[in-house]
Amino acid sequence: MGIEIEDLAVAYGGQRVIDGLALTIEPGSFFTLLGPSGCGKTTLLRTIAGFVPAERGHLRFGGTEVTHLPPHKRDIGMCFQDYALFPDKTVFDNVAYGLRARKQAESAIKPKVQAALERVGLGHLGGRHPAALSGGQRQRVALARALVIQPKVLLMDEPLSNLDAKLRLQVRETIVELQREAKITTVFVTHDREEALAMSDRIGVMNQGGLEQVGTPAQIYREPRTGYVADFVGGANLVDIETRARQAGETGLVTLDGIAIAARAPAAIAAGKATLVARPEDILLAEPGTAGTLPGRIAHRQYLGGKTSYKVALDSGRVLAVDLQSGPHDRFEPGATVGLGFDPARTLVLAS
Amino acid sequence: MSQQFRSIWFWFSALALAILAVFLLYPLLNVLTGSIGSGGRNGWVTLAGDPKYLAAIVNTVVLGIAVTLTTTLIGVPLAYFTARFDFPGKSIVAVLPLITLVIPEVIAAQTWLMMLGNNGFITRWLGGHGIDMPTFYGWPGLITVMTFTYYTYIYIGTLAAIRGFDVQLEEAAQSLGTSPAQSRLKVMLPVVLPSVLASALLVFTLVVGNFATATILGSRVPLLSVLTYQAAVAEGGSDPVMQSTLATVSIALVMIVLFVQRWIVSRGRHEVTQGRGARAEKLRGLPGLVIGLSAAILVVVSLLPLGSIVVGAFTVSRGPVMRWGEWTTAHVERLVKIAPDPVINTLIYSAVATAIGITFSAIVSYLIVKKRNILTPALDYLTALPLALSGTIIGIGLIMSFNTGFLPITGTASIIVLAYIVRRLPFGIRNSSSTLYNIPNSIEEASISLGVPPVSTFFKVVLPLMLPAVAAAAVLTWTTTVAELSASIIVYSGGRETMPIQIYKLIDSNLMAPASAYGLVLVAVILIPIIVATRVFKIDLFSSKS
Repeated sequence: MGIEIEDLAVAYGGQRVIDGLALTIEPGSFFTLLGPSGCGKTTLLRTIAGFVPAERGHLRFGGTEVTHLPPHKRDIGMCFQDYALFPDKTVFDNVAYGLRARKQAESAIKPKVQAALERVGLGHLGGRHPAALSGGQRQRVALARALVIQPKVLLMDEPLSNLDAKLRLQVRETIVELQREAKITTVFVTHDREEALAMSDRIGVMNQGGLEQVGTPAQIYREPRTGYVADFVGGANLVDIETRARQAGETGLVTLDGIAIAARAPAAIAAGKATLVARPEDILLAEPGTAGTLPGRIAHRQYLGGKTSYKVALDSGRVLAVDLQSGPHDRFEPGATVGLGFDPARTLVLAS
Repeated sequence: MSQQFRSIWFWFSALALAILAVFLLYPLLNVLTGSIGSGGRNGWVTLAGDPKYLAAIVNTVVLGIAVTLTTTLIGVPLAYFTARFDFPGKSIVAVLPLITLVIPEVIAAQTWLMMLGNNGFITRWLGGHGIDMPTFYGWPGLITVMTFTYYTYIYIGTLAAIRGFDVQLEEAAQSLGTSPAQSRLKVMLPVVLPSVLASALLVFTLVVGNFATATILGSRVPLLSVLTYQAAVAEGGSDPVMQSTLATVSIALVMIVLFVQRWIVSRGRHEVTQGRGARAEKLRGLPGLVIGLSAAILVVVSLLPLGSIVVGAFTVSRGPVMRWGEWTTAHVERLVKIAPDPVINTLIYSAVATAIGITFSAIVSYLIVKKRNILTPALDYLTALPLALSGTIIGIGLIMSFNTGFLPITGTASIIVLAYIVRRLPFGIRNSSSTLYNIPNSIEEASISLGVPPVSTFFKVVLPLMLPAVAAAAVLTWTTTVAELSASIIVYSGGRETMPIQIYKLIDSNLMAPASAYGLVLVAVILIPIIVATRVFKIDLFSSKS
């Protein structure tokens, strides 16, 4: 069942935090709202759930208007950052809670709960209380509890952020597997770009209550529409430049600190101020003076295992971040002069 | 905003507010406006013209300051040594918080009289050895009894502050070159001081509102609370104008102190760093012995009333004369066979008040903590209001408001129950809300997202989690209402005596032995639920007492 949002406005604590937002989420897809804290992603999720009322606009699940439906009638499954398991109830009773609320027969509930627990690998822990579980196990119980009622949509509010790195990967895989299998339309909120890229069918990058860009993970990463998206999704170098008008997909020369380099415009752009975007891993370091490179000097070097991060100062004083795969290439010492090479396909000119 | 009015919680809040307006605000307004009588008599003119009233105000303030000082001098060192040192016999200090609960004020005053009053066994024993004790009535008795009644408030408040203090701050001060003693003085004292001052001011307000001790021991010293009571229930006609005037004075007095307290607390609100608590240092040798002995003496003296009440209940007496050393069960038998009414009344009134009060507190604190709307701040303030009102004032407000008119319940049992509920309301609310703050909102939302409507979610998910705290609150409400005297003695009518009222009357007639018999039952009625709750149900009574 798809989700349609039309001209949505939401006020929170007396301030309008979302205004005129529109979004369509395909039935059965995994959609991620990505953004920094305070961007409105959790508010949007809670509006979809019904915990935050919409001031204006429409919200539909599978074509049915739910804008003014209270949350308990929306038929949603929800996972919370702090798991929100009922501490006084056993794991089994937690998972059975929604089925009992739907007045299902106890004889029908038992096999469903057992199956749901087994699906998340906790079939043997039904009798325990939440306090006796690890964080990863708790979030699996929460997931089973949300899915066992076969909700129309599954809403997840940063469900992985309280887990340590290793568990986060495991639970992440469980979530994606179960979602693909059950084909439940899922909205997932996170500030972690790696999570968003790894799990989603589509991602909506949020900024100040609005959707900055919506697209597949590859589109968001490779074809960012704005400097904000490029920076948030990949920590890019952003440089203010002047450009002439360009057509969508056109590759041409721009001037960076007096030297012309080739860059591509993913969307049409008018003449004037623009932003040049280059990801650290898309810049090459070469011997100084190599043709087509910008002269620079290594200001700082940080060895990170798989890669080495450099800060390179240009003659103008501007500093760019450059990442090299660790290996024979990352041989530049601080103070050394180098030439910076830009890949024309991966160096982008975006509207400011 | 329109969203708010549609919510069922908004209407619950409106209902709660209406109830509080009728049973709390309206009586209070009656008290405050009653000081200018309808016949053109102005209570303030009388107050200014009669030196007795001015003396009572001065005496009340002086007594408040004196007891605040003595309780601080006992409570602070006791808390400091308990928190930071191990000494022989430290574990008995742990029973201190219970003492304030278990010993009703009226019993404390009575037992001190049985020891040190004109007929007291210590007075008589000393008299037999040629030592004449000065009379215990008046200042010596008032200060002694109130000190031992209230020092635990300072102790508990200070102890919590010292335990919450991060020792790493002290270590940081030492690493920067100050000596251990100096760093304690310079770093710990400023952090702990606001809590000490706050509990000291609390004691001051309790002394101002104190009725039981003041009326039993203070016959030579006019005090505000006693004069207020006398104006309300004087034989041969009460004086409604003066009762209102005097009540207004003590409300003003308490309000000033509460504002100062709030100001101190807000100024002293340091960022509390979750640090390491101090490890208790071992005190050996002479210092350990001295501290241990002092603490032990304190605890024993605090517990003396319990022993005296047992002795008194079984001592032969002829009228006011106690024959110490001769034993009888006649008083207890008489209580059971001939006059059990006060016991039954107490049990019924307190049970009803506890049930209603706890239910109301649980719902209102849920509204205040979890379902905020434009009405809940008013609920929050109103439910805290009884803290500023002594029992005497609550009693006066209730009889002024519900004597005739739309709800004539004066002279019925309902008004006693009502007085109990109003007096204990702030404590019930505080108890429930502190638990509610610890229940994350996401738990409720999880239940709602699974298809359970908000009101059933409260019953299915929130209430079970509140239950231990509600049970603790019920026990605490019970123990304090069965011992309630100052409000119920104003609103009760003949035949509806409770145990504290009966004890008070017997003490007034100097019949200590029968009074002790009721005291014994009263202490049992308080102790048994506490023991059952803490031992059988493992309820932590003090987890949320701040």
